[in-house]
Amino acid sequence: MTTALPNDRAPAIALDRVVHKYGETVALRELTLTVEHGEVFSLLGHNGAGKTTTVRIVNGLLAPASGAVSVFGLSPLADGAQVRRRTAVLTESPTLDERLTARETLWAFAAMYDVPAATIRGRTESLLEEFGIADRGSDRVGGFSRGMKQRLALARALIHDPDLLFLDEPTAGLDPAATQQLHNTVREMSRARGRTVVLCTHNLVEAQALSDRVAVLGEGRLLALGTPSELARRIAPRLEVSIEVDPAQKDAALRAIGSDNGLSVVAERGGVVRVIGVVRDAVPALAARLVGAGIALYRLDPHEPSLTDAYFALQQGRHRERADGGGP
Amino acid sequence: MNARIIRAIVLKDLRVVRRSRALMTPLIVLPVLLMIVLPTVITFLPQLIGGAQESFAEMFNNLPDAAKAQFGEFTEASWIRLVHTQLLAPLMLLVPFMVANVIAADGFAGERERKTLEALLYTPATDAELFVAKLLAAWLPAIAIAFGGAAIYAVIVNITAWPVMGRVFFPNPTWLVMVLWMAPAFAALGLAGMLLVSLRVRGMQEATQLGGLFVLPVIALVVGEVRGAVLLGPWMSIVIGLIVWAIAGAMLLYGVKRFKRTTLVAKL
Repeated sequence: MTTALPNDRAPAIALDRVVHKYGETVALRELTLTVEHGEVFSLLGHNGAGKTTTVRIVNGLLAPASGAVSVFGLSPLADGAQVRRRTAVLTESPTLDERLTARETLWAFAAMYDVPAATIRGRTESLLEEFGIADRGSDRVGGFSRGMKQRLALARALIHDPDLLFLDEPTAGLDPAATQQLHNTVREMSRARGRTVVLCTHNLVEAQALSDRVAVLGEGRLLALGTPSELARRIAPRLEVSIEVDPAQKDAALRAIGSDNGLSVVAERGGVVRVIGVVRDAVPALAARLVGAGIALYRLDPHEPSLTDAYFALQQGRHRERADGGGP
Repeated sequence: MNARIIRAIVLKDLRVVRRSRALMTPLIVLPVLLMIVLPTVITFLPQLIGGAQESFAEMFNNLPDAAKAQFGEFTEASWIRLVHTQLLAPLMLLVPFMVANVIAADGFAGERERKTLEALLYTPATDAELFVAKLLAAWLPAIAIAFGGAAIYAVIVNITAWPVMGRVFFPNPTWLVMVLWMAPAFAALGLAGMLLVSLRVRGMQEATQLGGLFVLPVIALVVGEVRGAVLLGPWMSIVIGLIVWAIAGAMLLYGVKRFKRTTLVAKL
């Protein structure tokens, strides 16, 4: 048997028109995307959108019905062991054996990932320390809280220092401090060490904060792909503008903004007015209109649309398409 | 095959089994019962139920001719030889069978039920390495317990029977073939049966119930011996062992073809 050689110039992940079916149910519909080395890449989508199926296909746990998959230039099905030696998956539930201790868990998986025997103990202790479970290292996992299990599962995923890390809902069950630590780990892996991280999440704020690029999946189809800000601008191009004027001139300001131009205007406390649905190019004209009307304009603050805005705009678009008889 | 990966999975599985009271209880009770308590009690049975000597004599009269020729008339010595070298011998096959069966149920269906299988599937272990590791994790302890238990059995029988026999009479050739050849075969049958069942069911309880059905050949052998229909000698033991090895081998071959990540993940 020949051993395929990884190609480090190839993308970390390349999917080309990948289709997967569970019986009659289509889980992935011609999914095409690439993930580059060192990226933090998020897969977003509702339950059943195809995120977990994608992770399983990329790791050789599922065979696609059609299409091509490569990981570092290797085929996950033909060269599965080689691929999985360089990847790690933190699954949504921790999948830890409750009868083992934390240390035994890490030792066992270190050996399975062929971590050199001489380094296993040192690596184990440093990960237990890093994730704040060193003092419980000799305790059985069955007695751990959900957050501790999640941290141990993450330590297990990092035991062989993977080149490509998949995190499936990584912060579910974590407290804010542990969440912050996980975010730092992701940033450190990507920025400082050039590792690739694929984040499967419902947490749009987390995805926006961590990701270089984002793919939005819906019913196994790629709905959108780009950086979080690109997606937000492209999919949710209208801004929300917060304006502060002299409180005595608030009514005059509301009249000047007008409501016959498709904008929603909300009067807040004091002299603050929120204008929703402003096209980016119309922001200067809005400011000019207020100044032209003699309003004392103290502040005009356009809020960039977020990934959350873009995500829900996309999903609403899908619902409308379906209602109109389009889409799967 | 990466021996280090296989060893890591085997050790992990054995650790997990060792820490389960539900698994360890039958794994301890059955061998103790069959390999320590039973031989002790059975040796002294004619003395324990004195007055039933006629029943024992009648039992000897009803033995098949070949057995009659081998064991002669009922005496305490012939009783000891009959029960230990013949009647109880197939019961010893229950131990490796059950141990392999129980551990395999935990390793295949149990791991799936505890949702720990997915983490294993994401490791670099190939399908073949996973398969071999799971087999060894069940087979090796079964063999170790069978061999260890047989040694203890032999010591107990010789000690308890010493006042009657006055010499080391056990084990005989049939027993040795049974322990060294048939016990590993029945252990393989136990785990092969559980493997096939586990590939089809989701839960451990279901697997244990269905996998236990493969014990029927052992029960048939015990009943056959007691009823006098079967009289195991070394050659017959070799032949039966060969048949069991062949069946277990065929089942394992069938199982290995279906033991694929892509199949296992569908049942997660």
